[in-house]
This record gives sequence, structure tokens and C-alpha cells, in this order.
Amino acid sequence: MNWLMKQIRKEEWSPYAAGILLGIVGILTVVLTDKVLNAPKLLGASGGFENIAAYIGKAINPSNTYFKYVMPPGMTFAVILLVGIFFGGMLGAFSSRTLKFRTMDDEQWKKIFGKQTWKRWLVLFVGAIVLEYAAGIAGGCTSGLAISGGMLLVPAAFLFIAGMFMSGIVTALIIYGKRF
Amino acid sequence: MSIILPLLLGVVFGFALNKAGLTKYHKIVNQFRLNDMAVLKFMLTALVVAMLGLYPLHALGVINFPTVPATYVVGNLVGGLIFGVGMALAGFCPGTCVAGAGEGKMDYLVPGILGFLTGAVIYGLTYDKVFPKISAIANYGNVTLPELWHISPYLAILVFTIMALVLFYLIDRMGMQRKKK
Repeated sequence: MNWLMKQIRKEEWSPYAAGILLGIVGILTVVLTDKVLNAPKLLGASGGFENIAAYIGKAINPSNTYFKYVMPPGMTFAVILLVGIFFGGMLGAFSSRTLKFRTMDDEQWKKIFGKQTWKRWLVLFVGAIVLEYAAGIAGGCTSGLAISGGMLLVPAAFLFIAGMFMSGIVTALIIYGKRF
Repeated sequence: MSIILPLLLGVVFGFALNKAGLTKYHKIVNQFRLNDMAVLKFMLTALVVAMLGLYPLHALGVINFPTVPATYVVGNLVGGLIFGVGMALAGFCPGTCVAGAGEGKMDYLVPGILGFLTGAVIYGLTYDKVFPKISAIANYGNVTLPELWHISPYLAILVFTIMALVLFYLIDRMGMQRKKK
């Protein structure tokens, strides 16, 4: 019991240990949604944002096909999952006593981009737009496609992972230059 | 149940992302700089564990598989390529951003989440012009690799597991990881 409490209080686990936990969540998601909801589902994050954005998108263009048929607005499974992820992050930070309000706290970021908060916020805003758009084209993000698809041996997941690592490495190389 | 279940699954998912350290900018970016392999180890471990659980459960008739994500070669790859740019730039992805927001990171909660919503609106409004064309190229539908290649899923899982273990060995024992600067 003491050992367990000590592990839970740790800020960071071995990536293998955390990976095993994620793998179990992946299995449980399929098993429990199939057994309890009679409709097997997968983990995902980008889809939930689309269900929320649909409220705005439909207001802008009521006849838009995407928000009318493909991803209609609603408090879907994916949206509630996002709420859960939020509280999961909170619980994790709380358990290691690292839960606190901060506007930007990454030392490595400050070294590369400087200490201005507006710059960090601008890059994150633009980065998030790029990420969500890309997830739309690919058919999912790191959780909904790479993990959820990969665990079921879906080719799309491995294509996505390959693309993500290739361009991620090149982008990091460009940003970090000699400091890469 | 339709609310409690996704809520609980999300909580454990977010908790795992927090404990893996993936809610930190440097953790994600240093994976792409190849001097911290935590993201790769985390993802591959999760994949191996989930594969080893799901396929046998399916074979035993315990569970039905959900509709799997569709494979359309060019779209999946191009989407991944654009995604990698955003991920290396921001140091998060949709899931890790939401978990980080829960930790109290205002930069994740405000510009991060607003950015995802903006991106989703732009995507939806331009969907007709982009998606049908790109997803029509080399589209194999909602298929898995074993179905597509007519191989045993267990063979695929065995190969994947061995590849992951060899990679872990090379990283941890042979030092196949760049030194931190």
C-alpha cells in the first residue's frame, strides 16, 4: 500500500509504466463501451472538439454538410471523454502536488523563444489550429488514430505515425537549428 | 452510464498522460529532437499491451470491434505530416493539451483549446473542398492490416511486439538516443 501511494505521488512515471496504463485504458474502452453501451467505441480527442465546434460552424453556415451530417453538434461520447481527460490531468497533478495556475512554465521554451507570454500563447493558438485541421484530414489525432487505430492494427494509424514523426523531426530541426 | 463511462475512461487517460510527462512542452519536442524517447516508449508500450488484450478477447467472442478508422493512404500520411509540424511547434496534441489544461496550465486552457475549436470550425467549413478529393486516393475503407494482407493478426502482433522490444533494447541498452544539450 505504501509502495502504491509512493508511486501515485511521483510526478513522472517510467514511460513503460504509463504506457501499460494507457494500453489498459484502450482495452477497457472497447470492452466497456461494447458491454455497457452496446456500441463499441474508441478513445479520441480531436473528434470531441469537432462536436463542440459544430455549434459555431452551424451558426456560421447552417447548410454546411460536415456539421450537419458528419460531425453534428452534441454532447457526444467524445466530448464527455474530453471533460474526463481534463479532470484526469488535474488528478495527476494533484497527486504529485504540481497542480497550480500558471501562464507558461516551460524552461526550455523560454530559452528558445524568450520569456514573453504573448508569444507562447500565439504559437500555441496557431499550433492548435494546424493540429486540429491536420487531424481532420488524417481522420484522427494521436489518441483517436495513432493509439486507437494502431492497437487494432489499422494501416491508417501507422501511416499517420510515420508522417507525424518525419515532419516533427524536421520542424524541430528548423526551430532548434544548431541547438538541435 | 453513457456519461459516467466516458468520464471515467477520460480521467484514467488524462491521468496516464500526466504521469507519462506528456503534458510538458519539452517532453514532446525533445522526442522530435531524438534526445528523450519517452513519447515513443509510451506509445509503443500502450499499443503492444492493447493489441495483446483486444485481439484474443475478440477471437474468444467476448467483444465486438468498433468501426476502425478508415485508411486512405495519401490523406492519412499528409494529415500526419501537417500534424507533426503543429506538434513540434506547440509541444502538445489535442489530448495532452486538455490534460495539461486540467493541471492549471492557462496557456493550454485558453489559446490551446480555442485553437482546436477554431481549427475544427475551419476544417468543417472547408471539408467539402478538401476531404472528398484527398480521401478518394488509395482508399481501402475501414480495414485492418491483417484483413488487407490476409495474414493472421497474431503474426502481425508478434512482429510488432518484437520490433518494439528490439527498439526499446537499442534505446535503453545500446544508447540509441542523442545526448541532451
